[in-house]
Amino acid sequence: MKCGFCGRDLPPPDKVRQKPCGACLGGCRKIHCPWCGYENPIVPNYLRRWKNKDESKEND
Amino acid sequence: MAVQNAVCAADRKIVLVGNPNVGKSVLFNALTGAYTVVSNYPGTSVEVSRGNCQIDGVSYEVLDTPGMYSLLPITEEERVAREILLKEKAHTVIHVIDARNLERMLPMTLQLVEAGLPVILLINILDEAERRGMYVDIPLLQEKLGIPVIGGAMARKRGLAELRQAIASYDSKVKAVFGYSRDLEKDIAKISEHLTGDYTLVPRSIALLLLQKDEDVWGLIRDAEKGSLEAIEKAVNDTVYERRMDLNLRISLERKRICRAILEEVVHQQADRKPTFFERLAGWTINPWTGFPLLLLVLYFGVYVFVGKFGAGVLVDLLEGGLFENYLNPWVVGLVHKLTSWYWLRELLVGEYGVFTLGVRYAVALVLPIVGTFFLAFSLMEDVGYFPRLAMLVDRVFKKIGLNGRAVIPMVLGFGCDTMATMVTRTLETVRERVIVTLLLALAVPCSAQLGVIMGLLSEVPGALPVWVACVMLVFLAVGLLSARLLPGERPMFYMELPPMRLPQARNVLIKTVSRMQWYFLEIFPLFIFASILLWAGKMTGALNGLVRIMSPAISALGLPSETTAAFIFGFFRRDFGAAGLYDMHSQGLLSPRQLTVAAVTMTLFVPCIAQFLMMKKERGWKVSLGIFLLVTLLAFAVGWSLNVVLGFTGWLA
Repeated sequence: MKCGFCGRDLPPPDKVRQKPCGACLGGCRKIHCPWCGYENPIVPNYLRRWKNKDESKEND
Repeated sequence: MAVQNAVCAADRKIVLVGNPNVGKSVLFNALTGAYTVVSNYPGTSVEVSRGNCQIDGVSYEVLDTPGMYSLLPITEEERVAREILLKEKAHTVIHVIDARNLERMLPMTLQLVEAGLPVILLINILDEAERRGMYVDIPLLQEKLGIPVIGGAMARKRGLAELRQAIASYDSKVKAVFGYSRDLEKDIAKISEHLTGDYTLVPRSIALLLLQKDEDVWGLIRDAEKGSLEAIEKAVNDTVYERRMDLNLRISLERKRICRAILEEVVHQQADRKPTFFERLAGWTINPWTGFPLLLLVLYFGVYVFVGKFGAGVLVDLLEGGLFENYLNPWVVGLVHKLTSWYWLRELLVGEYGVFTLGVRYAVALVLPIVGTFFLAFSLMEDVGYFPRLAMLVDRVFKKIGLNGRAVIPMVLGFGCDTMATMVTRTLETVRERVIVTLLLALAVPCSAQLGVIMGLLSEVPGALPVWVACVMLVFLAVGLLSARLLPGERPMFYMELPPMRLPQARNVLIKTVSRMQWYFLEIFPLFIFASILLWAGKMTGALNGLVRIMSPAISALGLPSETTAAFIFGFFRRDFGAAGLYDMHSQGLLSPRQLTVAAVTMTLFVPCIAQFLMMKKERGWKVSLGIFLLVTLLAFAVGWSLNVVLGFTGWLA
């Protein structure tokens, strides 16, 4: 997943080490880009498979 | 891709580095074949692939590192990639870059070369670049960089033979050197002359990382430089004090300048090739002459028409007016009245501030459709790559009015959520910047939810939206300008890499919109329910009436009916909850266009929600946060009062 602001590749949600602000009930549902700080939504599990299918088309 | 198998460690190591998605793994597979080992790097959860290859009869171990953007690490993946570079004593480091993004990726090549690493530059995906009419003069680039440069397309194995040849014949004695500006070179020399330890990186590179406050390198120095540590610390501190600017930014800009100079004669575009629509659009968005009209178009169609007319008009009418008013409300009210005769319970569930009639209705029928359409427009702009360009555009204006350009990032983030943006202000360099931005976020930057509801609300009243925009902009500029003048300090520069603009992908936009709507709903729904219970308790105990009485002089001074007090109290819980209260009053015909505009302006400028206030207290302390709270409250009511007087005097929005 790419950051919606700086376009860099975000680390996977399970590997993100971020300190949440604690303002949201039920925990943080955002990934903060480690490079620019922009908040990107964490894709829910039921959408992740669909998203991964799309990303697998990208080269690496 | 990877097969768990024993891979014998060879004496010589080839380390592949580069940004994510540049084809490192494709190259790794092309070099090593099928037998590779994927394992976590010791002490981390980051996966590193290892494999073997034979070149001219010599065996090499190949390591595929995680993607990295710079030698100065920020993420765990980057830290691991750098540790591999520092510890594995590579025979050759192959820096893989994307031919389509040379200017963005070449600064890291410079970092690797100046670190004294044995670098071979592989310009990958060259076929795609050529298809776009780009020509890269590889021999000239090799001459300018002073390292082997190979052009290729690893997916088609183009350039693989040349790369293998370059690895086999690599001469580690040849070292390239790049010169920075005289001042920076002097600073580097001042620090590196004290470095006496044995490091994988050359002293010049260590000095640059120390100036950029790299904690890992500082740790390394503390262990290796027992005798001269004090002198090194003094040299670094003196430089930081003397230069009084963000050295990280200064070094990045210097590297950028060198890369531009290198690439000037190396990259050629086909003369007859016309720039694509998105390349031209990208240019228009950051040019002030075309950027601001484009911004107005985006706001008009994206927010006013789509969110305001469609979301707040059509969808809310359908849900609130149709589903809730005609079907759900009468059914639930009837059911509750049938099940219980207790007044307090009826009030709690379906009364004026009932959990269903207020909490659920506001969340589902009023806020969700408006915020949903807003998120769709937001995700679309995000996917196109508009936001970084908007930041650049606004940055130019900020600089002209004497504000700090770096403040753009938390400001733009504030339109997402002000609470988080307040937290992000800690990344700003000086206390002055942090206080100014925190104040502006609390005062005049509405969060996405509030913005969506207010835009939706005001777009139904002709003339109200321009008045609201003008008031909020005026207050923003005046307070920003004034606080920038009053608080002394430096004005650092703003610098960011612009990712390319592209056609939005429907799947991406939908996924982001649904994800945002889900977290938003999960976040607001319990709060709306909690707020309605609190308001119900206030009504039952008479505390709410007391609060309304206390606030009524201020509310009547604004020319607003006393019922508006409740909406302002809602706003304490969440800004969008308050805005929804105004929406509800407007739809019941309780507010005239003038009153609606005054209320919307005052509420936008009014105190932030509880979460943002707590974050302000956490980040800036009690003294500053209470000061901001008082200033913002006074300003909001003063502006609201003035607007009411002006509108009354001129007869606008009568």
